[in-house]
Amino acid sequence: MITKIPEATAPAPAPAHRAPEPPRPAGRRRAWDEAPRWQIYLPLSVYLVFTLVPFYWILLFALRPPGSTSLVPWPMTFEHFEKVWTERAFGTYFQNSVLVGVATLVTTTLVALAGGYALARFDFRLKRGFMLALLCSQFVPGALLLVPLFQIFAELRMINSLGSVVIAETVFQLPLSMILISGFIRNVPYSLEEAAWVDGCNRFSAFRVVVLPLLRPGLVAVGSFAFVHSWNHFLFALMFLSDQDRQTIPVGLNTLMSSDSVDLGALAAGGIIAAVPVVIVFAFIQKWLITGFSAGAVKG
Amino acid sequence: MKSSIRRSSRGGRRPAAVVLGAVLALTATACGDDGSGAAGDKGGEGSGKGEITFWDNNTAVRRDIWMEVIEDFEKKYPDIEVKYVGIPAADAQSKYDTAIQGGGLPDVGGVGTAMLAGMAAQNALEPLDDRLGKSSLNGRLNENLVDSSRAAGGGDELYQIPTSANNGTLWYRTDLFEKAGLDAPTTWSKFYEAAEKLTDKGKNAFGFTIRGGEGSIAPALDAVYGQTGITSFWDGDKTTVNDPKNVAALEKYVALYKKNTPSADVNNDFTKMVAQWDSGTIGMLSHNLGSYQDHLKALGEGKFKGIPNPTLDDGTRVQVSNPVDGLSVFKSSKNKAAAWKFVEFAVSAAENSKFNESAGQVPANTDAAGDAWIQKAEPTKLAAEALNSDSTEIVQLPYYLPDWNTISKADNEADFQKVLLGKMSAKSFLDTMAEQLNEAQAEWKEQQG
Repeated sequence: MITKIPEATAPAPAPAHRAPEPPRPAGRRRAWDEAPRWQIYLPLSVYLVFTLVPFYWILLFALRPPGSTSLVPWPMTFEHFEKVWTERAFGTYFQNSVLVGVATLVTTTLVALAGGYALARFDFRLKRGFMLALLCSQFVPGALLLVPLFQIFAELRMINSLGSVVIAETVFQLPLSMILISGFIRNVPYSLEEAAWVDGCNRFSAFRVVVLPLLRPGLVAVGSFAFVHSWNHFLFALMFLSDQDRQTIPVGLNTLMSSDSVDLGALAAGGIIAAVPVVIVFAFIQKWLITGFSAGAVKG
Repeated sequence: MKSSIRRSSRGGRRPAAVVLGAVLALTATACGDDGSGAAGDKGGEGSGKGEITFWDNNTAVRRDIWMEVIEDFEKKYPDIEVKYVGIPAADAQSKYDTAIQGGGLPDVGGVGTAMLAGMAAQNALEPLDDRLGKSSLNGRLNENLVDSSRAAGGGDELYQIPTSANNGTLWYRTDLFEKAGLDAPTTWSKFYEAAEKLTDKGKNAFGFTIRGGEGSIAPALDAVYGQTGITSFWDGDKTTVNDPKNVAALEKYVALYKKNTPSADVNNDFTKMVAQWDSGTIGMLSHNLGSYQDHLKALGEGKFKGIPNPTLDDGTRVQVSNPVDGLSVFKSSKNKAAAWKFVEFAVSAAENSKFNESAGQVPANTDAAGDAWIQKAEPTKLAAEALNSDSTEIVQLPYYLPDWNTISKADNEADFQKVLLGKMSAKSFLDTMAEQLNEAQAEWKEQQG
């Protein structure tokens, strides 16, 4: 017989609504409420200028005709998009980036789950040293390991294969992902898993049925980081991939800049194509991401 | 609750299927190659047929024209297939360096003189003297460019067949000059006069835009040697870079900053500098032939001109050498015969002319240098004339020094910004650079035995 797990003992799932904020001390509340609106909106407006102007600049260059110096994108043209998508093979780069991003997301999340679980639930010799090594590995720049990685992939006959980039990206993102996931797993009471064992689950099925659903915010955080990082990462794709039809968006963007001249319209259009998926991903997962970060911040 | 567990279990199969699918997809794409071909690999002549790999080190603007050249080549040599790999210009050096160490070098590739010394020192390039001696190209390449290529590779052997010469160009806005009643800035005196007269900070108009960010050292040296008329970079084993005349010239040049240039210039790399000139009201820009198309697109025909470096008042023009573009065959190539055929074909008169017309540079093949398009493209024509003129003295920058790239970039660009900002004196800047250069030269000479 399987015992129903009491809702009260499970850690709170991601809240669908924002929890009510704790009341501020009366003095502070008054000061906040009574502050003139301009004191709030002026700094925010200044901040917005700095954040939005570069975006407007990109849109302007992408949408106005070549040679135009107008400050508004009118008459509007899509020729830069057409150029990068068809002539400069951004369609192919995009497809490759999606494949690398999704595969990195999947592999990083899966391996980080397994590793994070081990870190959270098992005690083993030199565990603290291992954790420290994981943290220290974050300080090693990817460029330093390019040649040995290149040689390893060459031995495996994986140069010029998207798999090499996925493996390299996964390996570089695993340490931080494992540490993050282990923090989330620690937040799940061990007693829940024990209850599932009593109900007939083995360790794996207890993890899958009881722990995994509670890790959703953490998985979203780790997965989205893995996706975005591999989407934007340039170095491994540049070094391990040679064929034009295997290259990814960041490499494609760099191929628009020559040593002596830059087609700014094409570069801006390429930049928008590169940014759209990331913006969409973040728009959809924003809620989970914030929950994930705050949950991970409570206890590590 | 039991059923809920079962439901979860069924639900879990979907992600598992997705994962499996992704892994299978990746496995399918994991049919890569072994990246063989590192420095030290002796390669071989091969059959002169089959596939060769060509790396283009400046794909942004050259991709289309290289594709045309490759198409022509494959028509002439149907037994040879050329695999084109485009590399972003800014990353070509690191891509080559990784391949030299780890493997995966191409059979043939575009290599600029700035990269040549390092690659030759790592034994990655095939000496080409013998091949050139027996080739139809022999005697048909601009001798100055061949000499530059040879010097950049270390001096003894030729590791690069030049395809094109670039040249420092002073671009100026003819509309602004006419309005101000100024002569073209053909001499340094006229240059400084124009920089002063065209500046009207209230109207956001400036006489000149200076390169203060990445890549600032070579243009600064061009301006310095151009003004002093010192014609050699070395005086025995010591560099002339910190000669008192050069110090005075640099002081005069950097004094333009903020007085006659926008203050943002301190961070100018060529992209910002060219974009700023193309979209603003700035009289002059010192860059090279490569930005011609950008100016044409932004300003339109008739509003600007490009001339070589200004002369001294007596008409003598002194300029520093520009990197020469060219093609190299890699030692590790297993099909050097086919790779050389490609080089020979790409630098033949017809193809070299077509390539340089597109690139806006001076052809290395002398038979191509007289073609009609050069007579029509004024900046290129003037650059070609300047390069071949007896009254032009070229100060050869030491591209052959393996440390040149570091000295002319990482070691000194930040200091040049300090000079612009008045936080370091021109003398101190040039003395430091001279010390580094003298040391690098001594080390190089020692290595050469």
